[in-house]
Amino acid sequence: MIELKGIEKTYVNGDMRTPVLKDIWLRIEAGEYVAIMGTSGSGKTTLLNILGCLDSPTSGSYLINGTEVANLDDDELSHLRNRQIGFVFQLFNLLERVTLVDNVLLPLLYAETYPADAEQRAQEALCAVGLKDRLRYRPNELSGGQQQRVAIARALINNPALILADEPTGNLDTRSGTEILAILQRLHGEGRTILMVTHDRCVAEHADRILVLEDGRIVKERRVSHPLKTVAGVSGTAGRERID
Amino acid sequence: MLAGTMVGIAALVVIMAIGEATEKRVMKRVNNFGPRAMMVIPGGGRDFPPPDPNVTTLRPDDAEAIREQVDGLTIVSPLVREMAVTLRYESSQFQAAVFGVESNWHAAWGWEVREGGGVTEQDVATLSRVCVLGKTVKRELFGDKDPLQERLYVGKIGFTVKGVLEERGVSPGGGDMDARIIIPITTAMRRVFDVEHLSMIRILTEDSGLMSEQTRAIRSLIRERHHVRRPEEDDFRIVTPLSIAEMARGVSGTLSALLAALAGLSLVVGGIVLMNILLISVTERRREIGLRRAVGARRRDILLQFLVESLSVSLLGMFIGGLLGWGITQLLVRTTAMAASLSWEPFAMGAVLALLVGLLFGLQPARRAARLHPIEALR
Repeated sequence: MIELKGIEKTYVNGDMRTPVLKDIWLRIEAGEYVAIMGTSGSGKTTLLNILGCLDSPTSGSYLINGTEVANLDDDELSHLRNRQIGFVFQLFNLLERVTLVDNVLLPLLYAETYPADAEQRAQEALCAVGLKDRLRYRPNELSGGQQQRVAIARALINNPALILADEPTGNLDTRSGTEILAILQRLHGEGRTILMVTHDRCVAEHADRILVLEDGRIVKERRVSHPLKTVAGVSGTAGRERID
Repeated sequence: MLAGTMVGIAALVVIMAIGEATEKRVMKRVNNFGPRAMMVIPGGGRDFPPPDPNVTTLRPDDAEAIREQVDGLTIVSPLVREMAVTLRYESSQFQAAVFGVESNWHAAWGWEVREGGGVTEQDVATLSRVCVLGKTVKRELFGDKDPLQERLYVGKIGFTVKGVLEERGVSPGGGDMDARIIIPITTAMRRVFDVEHLSMIRILTEDSGLMSEQTRAIRSLIRERHHVRRPEEDDFRIVTPLSIAEMARGVSGTLSALLAALAGLSLVVGGIVLMNILLISVTERRREIGLRRAVGARRRDILLQFLVESLSVSLLGMFIGGLLGWGITQLLVRTTAMAASLSWEPFAMGAVLALLVGLLFGLQPARRAARLHPIEALR
């Protein structure tokens, strides 16, 4: 349902032209769990931004569920991000002075009509990521792992077709990181399409498919025959405990 | 950042309160004086103290000349006045003012009789010894008794009471206007006081638009008649509703002007400070803006968000400023002689101004926020 054809991205600064992405061809089906790996400077963040419609390519075609993104204006792109895409950022990006519930229902504020059951949906999403007891808390009262869970709940609130995660475990310790990967895995099991950018090989092995970016091109692509699961062991059990 | 709006609005409230009360007072005084009236008073100077008793150059034929030579005047009514004259009736006595008037005095001052009759042309022509009482004189000398046809003594001369004037009350200067009697001017000048000069001339014009021209005409006429040559000062004054208004406005005018300048300055400065603080806030909240855009906010959603924030601050300032202004006005009224009246207008105006300031100075930061590219913001 996602198709990139000949995507290129070049930054122009006066006379200097810096190509970041060169001739990217990519196809992702619904329900896939794809990891994009690469060192810094490989263009993986730019690729993610383009996939998330936060940035537009210099040339090439991006089709998401049949819609050509290049034809959309700013308002339509905002609408698309609102309904089709859920972001999970490395630094969580939660609103500090606002409760968890209000954080999670933020995307609903920008929907065409604000749903009557918005608060309820936000509460359910928070329960689904195991934060039932902390609904009225604020982000600064939570651990890193808990904050990332809130971010995931927020990403899910509008039932998007695509989850885009940018180094979701990058700011977390191993244990919290495992919890987050468990949640992502569960979401994948429910049929969601997940695209994750990571520099960590171990994290990438949790996905079905790994793409390796180097110097703006996809240099390697492989299917993961046995994706890592986080059900067994300490982390798995701990993850289970908290999920209702 | 609230301070500017607060001070501006507070100053506005105070100005308008003072201004409104002042205008009311001014209107009252002008109406009291008579909007179409002018008075020629002996003694130079520009203020409105009482006629200078040492100046004796204003004469009945000056009044006559004005009547004949200046166009557009409906009434020219000269009079003589003596304050604190002892009036006697039987065994009672009372000190009051005595006015020697022409028959047109009633029309000139809009002051009619309530009982009996007023001073007539015939009275003036025959130097008759009749008088019309002010209510206070009637009360003090006659009590409940009917004064008409009774004999009242002004000095050694006996007068028949012909009528009683309407009640008038207290003058703007604080005196009792009803503590007076009026007698024919001729009788006053030749029989009672033995004078040849006037205390003042009251003039009514048919059109207040002609007044400035008429004032000039009267002035040059009298100057000529009194042989006043440049650079000598006039030996008389002409008082008009304009000069009354000016005097009534007095200090309030200057104070209001100062406060208005302060208000304007405060609002502008406050607005600029607000704008700068908002601009900084936009920079500091880049991540938040980027996030909102990432989850689906459109440019105009961001613009609106920041505009609303700006407006809220402004309105808060207005609210506090309004309270402050109200407080200061109350304080002024209680501690100084200044009159001030509070109505809803200053607060309404304050609200509008606060909204405008919030919109105007909040627009730039809001637009900057809206134009942030989501990626720039998330970097």
